[in-house]
Amino acid sequence: MYYMGVDLGSVSTDIALIDKNHDLVEKIYLRTRGNPIKAIQEGFKILKNKYDDSDISAAGTTGSGRIIASAIIGADAVKNEITAHAMAALEIDKDVKTIIEIGGQDSKIIILNNGIVRDFAMNTVCAAGTGSFLDRQAERLDIPIEEFGDYALKADTSVRIAGRCAVFAESDMIHKQQLGYGKAEIIRGLCDALVRNFLNNVGKGKTILPKVLFQGGVAANKGMKAAFENELGFEVFVPENYSMMGAIGAAIIAGDQVKKTGRTKFRGFKLADNNIFSRSFDCDGCPNRCEVVKIYENDAIIGYFGDRCTRWTGKTGGFLRLHSG
Amino acid sequence: MIATFPHLGNVYIAVKALFDGLGIDYVIPPQNSDHALNIGAKYSPEEICLPFKIMIGNYIQAIEGGADTVILTGSCGPCRFGEYCELQMNLMKSLGYDLEFIVLDMPKDIGIKELINRLAAIGAAGRKSRFEKLKATKSAVQVMRLIDETEALAHYLAGYERNKGECKRLLHRCKKEAMKCSSPEEMLSLIKEYKKRIEYIPVDINKDPLKIAIIGEIYTVIEPYSNFYIEDKLMDYGVSSKRGLTPSWWFKNMILSPARINSLNIKKASRKYLPLEIGGHAKECIGEAILSYREGFDGAIQIFPLGCMPEIVSKSILPAISRDCDFPIMSLVVDDMTGEAGYITRLEAFIDLLERRRENVLYGS
Repeated sequence: MYYMGVDLGSVSTDIALIDKNHDLVEKIYLRTRGNPIKAIQEGFKILKNKYDDSDISAAGTTGSGRIIASAIIGADAVKNEITAHAMAALEIDKDVKTIIEIGGQDSKIIILNNGIVRDFAMNTVCAAGTGSFLDRQAERLDIPIEEFGDYALKADTSVRIAGRCAVFAESDMIHKQQLGYGKAEIIRGLCDALVRNFLNNVGKGKTILPKVLFQGGVAANKGMKAAFENELGFEVFVPENYSMMGAIGAAIIAGDQVKKTGRTKFRGFKLADNNIFSRSFDCDGCPNRCEVVKIYENDAIIGYFGDRCTRWTGKTGGFLRLHSG
Repeated sequence: MIATFPHLGNVYIAVKALFDGLGIDYVIPPQNSDHALNIGAKYSPEEICLPFKIMIGNYIQAIEGGADTVILTGSCGPCRFGEYCELQMNLMKSLGYDLEFIVLDMPKDIGIKELINRLAAIGAAGRKSRFEKLKATKSAVQVMRLIDETEALAHYLAGYERNKGECKRLLHRCKKEAMKCSSPEEMLSLIKEYKKRIEYIPVDINKDPLKIAIIGEIYTVIEPYSNFYIEDKLMDYGVSSKRGLTPSWWFKNMILSPARINSLNIKKASRKYLPLEIGGHAKECIGEAILSYREGFDGAIQIFPLGCMPEIVSKSILPAISRDCDFPIMSLVVDDMTGEAGYITRLEAFIDLLERRRENVLYGS
């Protein structure tokens, strides 16, 4: 009996299976590549060969695509990333005080006290300093993203890069590069700038106390970890499954939920082979002009999203019940 | 003259009552939508705040409906809103529209004589007697107050309702039907009727719902399109919410301000953290945060458009209040982004945080 968690993020889709003791038994990391439905199906194709539907006793979703994911897989719990990350972090250490999470599009800081989320903040309107930006810079400098952090550690000094805005940072980097600074120094400078930006922006007004967990995809970047430690003056811990924390949290929450409801709504792995696709249209029912998305599974509609008035969601009468087979 | 005006929450309902009573032809722009924002964003200065862009969208859509005169309230206060009317006049002119603007500024800025002239220009279009004009104005003010009260009641009772969604349904039906009324009197009695119905919905008084105050910049807290319909969402979540800034509050505040007896409770509450008037509604934001804490609210959400100077100042003060009072406050910055997922994440996480805090306080640890 396993609990499944799906973290459908902007850049990556993570699927985690945990056992009753909340230990991770399976992790799948996929690139979302702008197609969340396909990413889930790909993940399920891998899982289908190893597990039966009956092995899954609870399923939960999180991440920015959590709502569509929940309709497709039949989730028991749909939770925001903040709570999911906090749950997974508390599983590792009950005394964690601060969680720094940097993903593809979002960066967050979560402040905990006695195992309770006391405060949190997310980047406001700008995605500077998140995974996508680092990805792009790695590509531009022709360095595999996996080695990006190691480059920063090679540098003895750091070049000052503007960290306020991704556009400023990029042009600053290009100017410095054209002046002849080495790649390593520039990358270290970039890490320092992004950490400065994170602490001044997302972490503004928050007291960051140890123990600090650094999670999310960007935690793989050793340069970022070192820059955080440098700036904060104490050790920052990167948990073993740093990129899976959202999915693990969703699985834990789903497990708790099923304990209350008694049975899971999980729809099974067979959806991997079905033809699932979406179509969107502008609803003309009222001046709101909502962009409504329809999700089809083999030509049958399994869900509507995006309507403000529930005109469409109401029509299907609960999409999960309609076409489970 | 065919008058129009920019949207701001429920103001359109009161303005309908006013213009119906005054006998003035008018066009109400279509409700704010991505379409209005797209039009506005296309023509507005890139760095201007969100309300400006939506308002330009309103004007152009209203012109398509036949409007030729914009009626707008002005402000010579130290925030960008003070520049709105001039900028918008220039912008609309350079786009080639022949549009009249009637800007209602405070008497202290333009003189009482000029204000009366401008008001008379509006009134003259209707050919009604002075008595009828006064009566129409009175009804419109009453409509504004009533619809604000009805809305506040629905937002508050949503946390207690037994039949989920009843408050939201009644509130939306009330607004929809108010727009079908043909006279201010009919509208007044309809809204009164709905207010009563919301007052008497079945509630569970044993429930202790989360209570959240909505604070921040006046346009983005009042205009639901600009804040991703946050109050509707809170009603869906079964959270009681309160918002101090409403059009009727603004009206009362404006009338009382020459005598300096406006919003005394807010002034008093905010004095410790922000003793100066810095423009916009920064003082109100700080004051409302403190007042909602004292009233036993669980938390507050501050909403403001990107680049709003007064609210940036209050945003940097709010953490101090949060720390001193142990009162969670979340800030949401809105701009012309229409993807909701990020806002829903923040909102849900904030509600989770408040719930867990409560469990912790109630049952001890």
